[in-house]
Amino acid sequence: MASGVSGWLPFARAAAIGWMPVANCPMPVAPMANSKRQDELIILNVSGHRFQTWRTTLDRYPDTLLGSSEKDFFYNEEIKEYFFDRDPDAFRSILNFYRTGKLHYPRQQCITAYDEELIFFGIIPEIIGDCCYEEYKDRKRENLERLQDDQEENKDMKPPNMTCRETMWRAFETPHTSTMALVFYYVTGFFIAISVLTNVVETVPCGSTANQKDMPCGERYTVAFFCMDTACVMIFTVEYLLRLFAAPSRYRFMRSVMSIIDVVAILPYYIGLVMSNNEDVSGAFVTLRVFRVFRIFKFSRHSQGLRILGYTLKSCASELGFLLFSLTMAIIIFATVMFYAEKGSSSSKFTSIPASFWYTIVTMTTLG
Amino acid sequence: MYLFLKEKWEVEGLQTVGILLVVCSSLKLMHFLGLIDISTPDSVEDDFELSTVCHRPESMDKLQQQTKFTKKELQVLYRGFKNECPCGVVNEENFKTIYSQFFPQGDSSMYAHFLFEAFDTNNNGSVSFEDFVFGLSIILRGTINDRLNWAFNLYDLNKDGCITKEEMLDIMKSIYDMMGKYTYPTMQDDIPREHVESFFQKMDRNKDGVVTIEEFIESCKKDESIMQSMQLFDNVI
Repeated sequence: MASGVSGWLPFARAAAIGWMPVANCPMPVAPMANSKRQDELIILNVSGHRFQTWRTTLDRYPDTLLGSSEKDFFYNEEIKEYFFDRDPDAFRSILNFYRTGKLHYPRQQCITAYDEELIFFGIIPEIIGDCCYEEYKDRKRENLERLQDDQEENKDMKPPNMTCRETMWRAFETPHTSTMALVFYYVTGFFIAISVLTNVVETVPCGSTANQKDMPCGERYTVAFFCMDTACVMIFTVEYLLRLFAAPSRYRFMRSVMSIIDVVAILPYYIGLVMSNNEDVSGAFVTLRVFRVFRIFKFSRHSQGLRILGYTLKSCASELGFLLFSLTMAIIIFATVMFYAEKGSSSSKFTSIPASFWYTIVTMTTLG
Repeated sequence: MYLFLKEKWEVEGLQTVGILLVVCSSLKLMHFLGLIDISTPDSVEDDFELSTVCHRPESMDKLQQQTKFTKKELQVLYRGFKNECPCGVVNEENFKTIYSQFFPQGDSSMYAHFLFEAFDTNNNGSVSFEDFVFGLSIILRGTINDRLNWAFNLYDLNKDGCITKEEMLDIMKSIYDMMGKYTYPTMQDDIPREHVESFFQKMDRNKDGVVTIEEFIESCKKDESIMQSMQLFDNVI
């Protein structure tokens, strides 16, 4: 029974007059509650702040410290008060729980201090009211995560007796632990940069030879660029194979985003090796080389910030999706309107609704 | 469409109308979806209407004169009352919620409704502290006649001075609903009707199918167990 309605008990007993005349036997005698005793004020002295309440208020929850006889251990005979050497601010919300039946979590309170107070006074945190429960849970989770992060940082102490495979994996994942790992980290970073740079420079026009006009550098110095590309791809392949070997769960490693990026980055080269003789597919092969730009995403292993950007996009994917959807809706509506508005004029460029999509998109994104 | 619209301007005019319709309906649709907000100054809703009416009871001295409670008892009653109804009046929903917390295993809403009707003496849809305390004063501190009168008032649903079998059946069913399914022995569905029959047999002296106030008081006074039960109300508070 909720504590608040205990004041209505006389009313509930009086309402029994309704079924008394129709009862076949006399009513049983009501239990003689000890509420005959006069209700008295109790003074709770918490570190000097005096809180006063009725005894019956505290008796509502007999399985807590204040509601049971456990509080007699804190009774001070000289001042005739119950003295608790605890934080008075946290005690305020605890006393309000007895008064209203709802436990609230004050926002400015530290979560661990609040938990300790609850445990001391014998109140389980699960009864926190709906209004404050989410905040409480969030703060608790943040605290736990922060503790876990701290623990992970302290795990830099190398545990003894790691196999070669485990050492390698640790070197890959946390490069600052050993010098070899650091060297490897910087070398791969350097080669990623080189590879991206060569891809870019390949397309720059290099100056004309005698018989042809400007050609891109890639066609002029084919051998040099090919050697550069081979070297980079070899380094990346070796790195990928080493990571695959060292991974504790190979299946999970192969499914992870970073390894897929690695594979996509080196695949065009191998496909090119296999198919470079066939003239028909060389057109498609050229297009495949555009995937070499994915090598730039390999930098995200080296940059925490890039990973955070990725997580952010992932976490607000639904909002971005909704934005896209509402834009599409607006585009379709306005394109339809434009099409039908210009339909009468013979020189209109809006020959069909999809044709007016382009106009609408360009106007809506204020490109003009 | 072009078959019977010869003029060019007719075609164009119709297209313009069509476009306007599309634009207006899409704006309305977006307003409906909550994407945009089209509101004129009159249609802005007043969110800060005071939806509860508060009521302050009369002074304690007056209440003490009008009821038979002591000052301390009135204090205890008012504290309990105000705890559940901070605005000073109980409406029927609140009343039912409070009462159902005392009888969790049954459905006490009908009985609570009848009780509410009995407490709400001026029929304004809410029970103030005065109504509450007057009713309690009669039940807990009144004479036997007063109490029986009050019980008769509770049973007489249309307040016409006599209890018919249908009224009694409603009351009986609400009491059985309130007791819930956990009675021993378990109740069958026709028990309330039988109970009503035995009640009328006992109370209805002149067998005219209704029980008037005099018949009720007379029969109850002759019944030993009812008189015994009435004594219990003296010690409730």
